[in-house]
Amino acid sequence: MFKKILIANRGEIALRVIRACREMGIQSVAVFSEADASSPHLDLADEKVCIGGPKSEESYLNMSALLQAAEQTEAKAIHPGYGFLSENALFAELCSQLKFTFIGPSPRVIRLMGDKATARKTMKAAGLPTIPGSEDVLANEEEALAYAKKIGFPVLLKATAGGGGKGIRICRDEPSLLTNYRQASLEALKAFGNPGLYMEKFIEGGRHIEFQFMADAFGNVCHLGERECSVQRNHQKLIEESPSCAVSPAQRHDIGEKVRAGVKAIGYVGAGTMEFLRDRDCNLYFMEVNTRLQVEHPVTEMVTGLDLVKEQIRVAANQALSFTQDQVRLSGHAIECRVNAEDPSLGFKPSPGLVERFEPPAEAKGVRVRVDSHVKGGYRIPVYYDSMICKLIVHGPDREAARKGMLDALSKFKVDGIKTTIPAHQIILQDKAFADGVYDTGTLAKMTF
Amino acid sequence: MAKVILRPIGSRLEEALPSADYEANRERMGQLNTQLASRLEEVKAGWGPTYVERVHAKQKLTTWERVEALKDPGTRVFPVNTFCNYGLKFGDDERTSPSAGVVTAFAKVEGRWIIVIANDNTVASGSWWPRTPEKIERAQEMALRLRIPVVYLVDSSGLFLPEQATTFPGKTGAGHIFKMNALLSANHVPQIAGVMGDCIAGGGYMPLISDKVLMTEQAYMVIAGAALVKGAKSSKITSLDIGGPDIHVHVSNCADERVPDDATLIKKVRQEVARLPSTAADYYRFGADSAEPRFPATELDGLFPADYRVVYDVRQVIARLVDNSLFGEVFAHTGEEMVTGIGRIGGLYVGIIANNQQLNTHPREKGRARPGGILYQEGIAKISAFSRACNDDGIPILWLQDISGFDIGMEAEKEGLLGYGSNLIYTNSTNQVPMLTVLLRKASGAGYYAMSGMPYDPVVQLSTPITRQAVMEGRTLAIGAFNTKLDDNFQIVSKDPAERTKIEAGMKAVEDRITKDMDPYKAACQMDTDEIVAMHDLRAYLEVLVEACYQSIGYRRIKNPRIWSMHDLDVLSGK
Repeated sequence: MFKKILIANRGEIALRVIRACREMGIQSVAVFSEADASSPHLDLADEKVCIGGPKSEESYLNMSALLQAAEQTEAKAIHPGYGFLSENALFAELCSQLKFTFIGPSPRVIRLMGDKATARKTMKAAGLPTIPGSEDVLANEEEALAYAKKIGFPVLLKATAGGGGKGIRICRDEPSLLTNYRQASLEALKAFGNPGLYMEKFIEGGRHIEFQFMADAFGNVCHLGERECSVQRNHQKLIEESPSCAVSPAQRHDIGEKVRAGVKAIGYVGAGTMEFLRDRDCNLYFMEVNTRLQVEHPVTEMVTGLDLVKEQIRVAANQALSFTQDQVRLSGHAIECRVNAEDPSLGFKPSPGLVERFEPPAEAKGVRVRVDSHVKGGYRIPVYYDSMICKLIVHGPDREAARKGMLDALSKFKVDGIKTTIPAHQIILQDKAFADGVYDTGTLAKMTF
Repeated sequence: MAKVILRPIGSRLEEALPSADYEANRERMGQLNTQLASRLEEVKAGWGPTYVERVHAKQKLTTWERVEALKDPGTRVFPVNTFCNYGLKFGDDERTSPSAGVVTAFAKVEGRWIIVIANDNTVASGSWWPRTPEKIERAQEMALRLRIPVVYLVDSSGLFLPEQATTFPGKTGAGHIFKMNALLSANHVPQIAGVMGDCIAGGGYMPLISDKVLMTEQAYMVIAGAALVKGAKSSKITSLDIGGPDIHVHVSNCADERVPDDATLIKKVRQEVARLPSTAADYYRFGADSAEPRFPATELDGLFPADYRVVYDVRQVIARLVDNSLFGEVFAHTGEEMVTGIGRIGGLYVGIIANNQQLNTHPREKGRARPGGILYQEGIAKISAFSRACNDDGIPILWLQDISGFDIGMEAEKEGLLGYGSNLIYTNSTNQVPMLTVLLRKASGAGYYAMSGMPYDPVVQLSTPITRQAVMEGRTLAIGAFNTKLDDNFQIVSKDPAERTKIEAGMKAVEDRITKDMDPYKAACQMDTDEIVAMHDLRAYLEVLVEACYQSIGYRRIKNPRIWSMHDLDVLSGK
C-alpha cells in the first residue's frame, strides 16, 4: 500500500480523502492556495504544502506546483478528487512519468472518454443504448441539417470536448440550427480549444440517472446501482438520491450489466460514473462517462455500505476489488443535499463571506445522518472557488423516511453570516412532484424560492 | 533519479505566432499541399484507365487494388519513393514511368508492419525502368534495417529493354535485387512472394529466395519467355506452358502453392504474415499509450514562414509531433542552436535532434548573438554526444533538419570545426540504432551530411513540400562563382555598365538554376530523398516508422529507460 498520498484538491473532498487515508494508515499531504491557508481541514493532514496564489490556475490547476509538492513530500500517489485536474489526461500522464500513481483511470481512458463524441461511439459499439444522433463529430452545417432532418427536431448540439453542461444548444427548427451551429462551434473552440460538435435528439422531460462503477486492473468490474440527479439548476445538481424511483430492479440489472461490459471494453481501472438520460418511455440512454469520483458518491456509499475512496486507493495500488457483483446489495434509500453559499431568493447568487455559525445536525428522525464538510464557525468562504460548503446526506429504510428525515435534518441545520441553499432544499423536498418521485430535470425551473 | 521526465513543450497557436502570419503561411502551404496531392494522384494512376481496363480484362487486380487488399482493413498504406522518375521520359516514344513502375510501401498486415514491393501492372506490364532496381533495393534496405517482413507482389515483364544499358550492368543494377533477397534471408527477415502474372527474366528470379512462393493460375516464371524459345510458335507453346504453376509447383518446386486468383493469393499472404511473431512495439511502450500531441499536427502547415530565410520556433514543431506535446530536453543549457531531447511518438521513445533557427547568444563573447540553423562547436559536440547516447540506449533517432551548414570563417577554423564535424560524422556513420531524417526546410552543405542526410544511411529520409537540398543556396553559389568580380560586401566591382549587366545576368542564371535544382520533386525523382510528405502528415508517417523500429526483437539493443546512458548526460550537465 502507498505510504503517503497527496490530495490535489481542496474543501470537503480533500477532507474526505484525508479521512480515508487515516483509516487505512496512509499518511496524507494536503495542498492549499493562499486563499485557503486557514482552511480547517489542513490540520487533519499529516503535511501541508502551499502551492500558489488564490486563482485556480495558480494553484489547484498548476500541474508543476502540484508535482513539485508531491516530489518534496515524497508522496507516492496523487488523489485528484473531483473537478480541477481530476479529468486531465495530461496531468495523469505527467504523474506517471514522475512515477506518482494517479488515483484514477489511465490517460488513454481519460482521453477516450473526455472526447464526448468518441465516448458515445465507443459505448455504442460496446452495446450501450444511445440517443439517436450523429455518428461522429459533424463535418459542417449541411451534415448537421441532414442529421436533424433524419432524427427530427428538436435536437441538441453538443461540444465534443465539452462537459458539465457547457456548450449545449437546443435547436427547435432549421434556422435556429444554423445560427446555433456557428455560435456553438465558436464557443466550443474558445472554451475547449476544439470546435467539434455532435448532435443528439433532444429529449423532453428527461431524468438524469447515473450508474456508479468500480473496476480493478484484473478485469473485475462491478456496478453499484444508480443515482438520480434530476434536481438541477442550470445543469448544476442540487439534490441526489439513490436508488432512483424511475428505475425498476429489472432495468437496474439490465443496464448495470451493460455498464459493466462497456467499462470492461475500454480497460477502465478505478471509480467512475456512467451518466444516462431517461426519457418518458422509461428508456435509458448513455450520455457520458465521468472518469473520477463524483460529488454525490456518498449516497451510493450509504446504500451499499462501501467506501468508494478506500476502494479507489486499493485499486490504484493494484489490489483486486474487495467485493464481487453478487456481494453488492442496495439497502434503504439515501438523499444528499448540496448546501451552497448562495441566496435562493436572488436567483442563487453566490453569497461568500464569514460563516459566523456553522452547526450541522448530528442526528435526525428515523435516518442516519452524514455530514461531509470542511467548514467550521469562523470560516471565511473564499470567492475564488465553487460555493459548496457542505454535503448533507441521510439514509433511511425507504424513500419517504429519508425525505422526512432530511427535512428534519435541514430544520436543525444552523448557519449564520451567509445565505445558503437550505431554504430551497426545504421547498423542493416538500414539493409534490419530488415527494411523489415524478420529477425531471425541468422541475426545478418551475419552482419559486 | 533515473526517471525519464518529459515536460510540456509548445503553446497554443495564438501564442506561438500572429494569426495573420499563420493564415498567410497556411495559405501558401495549402497551395503546395494541393500540388502534392494532385501529383500523388497523378502518379498513383499509373498509365491511366486504359491500362487499368487491360488488367481487369485479364481477370487480374491492379497493383494498387492488390496492395489495398493486402493491408489490414481501416489502416493506411505509407508509400516511399513515390516520385521516383517523376517528370522523366524514356525511349524513342517518350514513355513516362510513374513511380518507376513499382509500388514500395509500408503496410500493416495482421498487426505487423511489412514492406510491400509490387510491380505496377498498369505501367508497361510492370517493366523495370531506369531506377526501378534502385527503388526496389532501397525498400529492401529499409526492411533489412528494421528486420520487418517483405511481401513481393511480382508481375513484371522484365527490364524495359530500350534503357537496359542504365539498368543492367552497374553496382545497383537489377541483379543487385537478388543479392538483397539473399541478404534479407541471411539476416532472418521473412520474405513472402506472390507471383501474379508475367515474371520474365529478372521478374522470374525475384521471388525464388522468398520463404514462401505462391502462384496464381495466370502466373508464370521464366528465364526467357516463349518469344525467345525456338519453335515455340509452331508447336503453340506459351510462356504459361513453359513456366506456369503446372511446372513450378508440381515439377520444378520453384513455387510452393498454386491459387486460383489474385484475391485468394492476397488472403494466403495475409495468413502467412499472421504466422510470424507479433510486434514488440507494445512491449516497448513500457505501459504508455499512444497519444496525439496536445497541439494538433495539422497546425504544422501554418508554422513555417513563406520566406525560407525567415525563422520560426522549432520547439513549436516538436510540440506538434510528439505524444501529448511532452518533451524531455537534454543539454538545454548549451549549444542553443541545436535542440536535443527525448519524446514519444505513438507511445514509443525517440531521440530528437533539431536545428533551432532563432538567434542565439554566443557562448563566450558577451552580448554577441549568432544566427541559428548553423552548426557551431557547442552544438556539434552536443548532438554528437546525444547521438551516441541514443545509439547506446537503442533509442531511434529522429533528425529534424533545417540546416544552412557548418559555421565558416576564422573562428570556425580556429576552433577546429572540421574535427568536431568529422567526429559527428564518425558517430552517425557507425550508429547501429535506426535513424530517421526529416528535411523540414533547408538541407545545405556538410550540415546535411553531418545530420544524417541520405548519404549517411538513415532508414528513411522524408522531405516536405518546402525542402531545399543543395550544397549551398543559389545566391551563395553565384557569389562563389563570380568571386573575382565582387568586393568585400559581394557587390560588383566593375563600373562599366555593360559588364555589370553581364555579371548580374550571369549571377542570376546561376542562382535560378540552383534554385530549380532544389525543387524537392527533382530530389525525389532522383531518389535523393525517400518521400515528400505534407507537414500535417509528418506525424502519421513518423508513427509508422517509429513503430516499425520497435517491431522486431533480437537484432538490436533496446535498453529500458531506467538504465539509459542518457541519464549520465543529465548528471554531467549538472541537472
